[in-house]
Amino acid sequence: MTRITVQGLGLVGGFGTGCGALAQALALGRSPRSSLEVPTGAGPVLLDAFRADTGALKDLISPKVLRRMDHITRMALLAARLALADAGLEASGHEGLGVVLASGYGATASTYGLLDSMINDGDACTSPTHFANSLHNACSGNLAIALGANGPNLTVSQFDLSVPSALLSARQWLLDGRVERVLFGAVDELSDLTGYLWYRQHGPTGPGPMSPLRTRAASALPGEGAAFLLLSSRAEAQPGYCTLENVVLGPGPMPPTRNLLVLGADGRTATGARYAAAAEGAQVACFTPLYGSMPVAPAFDLAVAALMLRAGTLYPTPSGAPCDFPCVVAPAGPLAGQGLTCLALGDDGAFGSVAMRPISP
Amino acid sequence: MNRTEPVALTGLGCICALGSTVDACCAGLFQDQRHLAPPSRFTSAHAIRYPVFEVRGFPEVPGLLRTSALALHAAREALADAGLDAAALQGLRVGVVVGTTVGSTMNDEGFCRAHRADEEPGLAPMERILNSNPAAVLARTFGLRGPCQTVVNACSSGTDALGVGAAWIRGGLCDLVLAGGADELGRITYNGFISLKITDEAPCRPFDRDRKGLNLGEGAAMVVLEGAASHRRRNRRARSFLLGYGSACDAYHPTAPEPQGAGLKRAIAEALAGAGLPPEAMAFVNAHGTGTPENDRVESRALQAVLPGVPYFSTKGFTGHTLGAAGAIEAVFTAVCLEQGRIPANLGFSTPDPELGGTPVAQATTVTGLAALSESLAFGGNNAVVVLGKGEQA
Repeated sequence: MTRITVQGLGLVGGFGTGCGALAQALALGRSPRSSLEVPTGAGPVLLDAFRADTGALKDLISPKVLRRMDHITRMALLAARLALADAGLEASGHEGLGVVLASGYGATASTYGLLDSMINDGDACTSPTHFANSLHNACSGNLAIALGANGPNLTVSQFDLSVPSALLSARQWLLDGRVERVLFGAVDELSDLTGYLWYRQHGPTGPGPMSPLRTRAASALPGEGAAFLLLSSRAEAQPGYCTLENVVLGPGPMPPTRNLLVLGADGRTATGARYAAAAEGAQVACFTPLYGSMPVAPAFDLAVAALMLRAGTLYPTPSGAPCDFPCVVAPAGPLAGQGLTCLALGDDGAFGSVAMRPISP
Repeated sequence: MNRTEPVALTGLGCICALGSTVDACCAGLFQDQRHLAPPSRFTSAHAIRYPVFEVRGFPEVPGLLRTSALALHAAREALADAGLDAAALQGLRVGVVVGTTVGSTMNDEGFCRAHRADEEPGLAPMERILNSNPAAVLARTFGLRGPCQTVVNACSSGTDALGVGAAWIRGGLCDLVLAGGADELGRITYNGFISLKITDEAPCRPFDRDRKGLNLGEGAAMVVLEGAASHRRRNRRARSFLLGYGSACDAYHPTAPEPQGAGLKRAIAEALAGAGLPPEAMAFVNAHGTGTPENDRVESRALQAVLPGVPYFSTKGFTGHTLGAAGAIEAVFTAVCLEQGRIPANLGFSTPDPELGGTPVAQATTVTGLAALSESLAFGGNNAVVVLGKGEQA
């Protein structure tokens, strides 16, 4: 059986940039909040949000190239470069490297830019740049160019299940021997569109922390960011973070597992009760309060799981309000070789689970 | 890449400007039908009314994107063709993978217009999009219990979806996969392609010296992919076999193909290796052939280099460029052409272009081979190829 390992992580989100920033947030149990100004009919509304700062890219990319890049591509490229560096790989020239990207909403700012150009300037002045950037796979195409990654390239959009769905194909490529390495990533952005959507669905954000393990508490905060994992089926020089054991998708319920569950619950009432049902009787952890609610948050769950499996230590679940799920919140401490399963639920009752294990010597 | 296990196509479904069934569409290919006209479902302020290939008379489904409704239509035909009803599907692990470009894009012009005018638009248009993810719609409608994936690889999405579905079957993840592509025509896509200056105001002329661009189209095609065990158990005739799939990214330019067709050549090589067949075993190539100057130049030259002497044609002159649906529609056409032992004329071609190094099939022709290749090129530098084999006798 082919063994797939996670060799590198690249992250940018509300907690900051890089694995160190996420590890620090995990240790502290909180991330700094920022804000998002949302245009509404009653004037701008300010929401609390977890925003990603891509300023670190200016040290990696020429200003000329950077100027042409939209925010979602900047987040993805920064995280991709960090994942490659973390895996000990060069920044470019990746002959045959596979790229798989998941995005729930895609390039919503460029989509609005495209529509703005049509609405404000007329059909004949539709922006070709915004049109090209509005396509879901523009981001992965730009990544391929920037990284010289000329292997297979796949973008998947399955809203809240984008991450497990895309990961299923990334894993299959490795098992089939199509490629030996896949740069797997996920990205979603906050924009006028997604901000408004959020505001209308959830209302103003509250002052308290996210409390995702309470069934009826609407405590979600919007987030954005990119999380990339360098997956490999090679016998790599460095041991890596963990192994990717399995990815399962279906209409639910999830098959039983002995692994500790990392729940994708994010304080939305729409899914709270179903996460509670899925977690019944299990030992769980949940880290969404560190990066917020977004369709691709499960990719950050994978990154946290990878960090914990390599360290052999379970980080504490950031405490919000008390848990009312019928489960046990696992205390911080040694993992003792235990595997982790990251669970994501879609709005329609479907689930996606990703099982990961520590690397055995 | 090693040789891969063939995956049976036991059901086909298709809807496009040529017709609303596989039979109607394929009959149209051999009757030189071209239902090209200015858009009837939307208006635009362009001085030129660029013609398109619409699916006329297709009913709108409340609360559902037209893209997903088209996918559902094709899926119903494919399932019926495969002899699968709701009861038969219940006991099987059935996955669904659909390629699209606009099927999950958060772009509603009316919503944006109201929002930008400082109004407070209701969320119904956005909820309609969120409720219309094409793969999720099919899974929900047919009660499918396997994995679900919407591929958004621009114009290669439909071909990639077939490759993904076949991999799921070979990997033991599913007994069956409903795979294909779907895309609708709308003002945003229409204006977007015109802004790129790659749209022809006349009928498109793939591989012709005087080609000026593409005509947009819409439609959907779905196939039932079936693993060997399920295929044997159900004793259902395979209409074709997916023998190989390959894909590669140019990593060159966001919207233009790499001039030497390097990515396309790698994708073809992977698909042939998977099929375990040499280039000369290909009876024909159903090319991407959009009619844009750059695509056709790169594609034609790549075909001369790696598949010399193999007849090729584009069906975009019959259907227009149906974007995320194109690869799936053309795979269905390829399967039927193998089945019927004939290929259509490359509609729109009349004058050879010396720059291309070859000419497409100028008139309907009989073919005798057992395998053929269908390929798609896309924005983002994606290239995707499937090798299909002739099916079993009826």
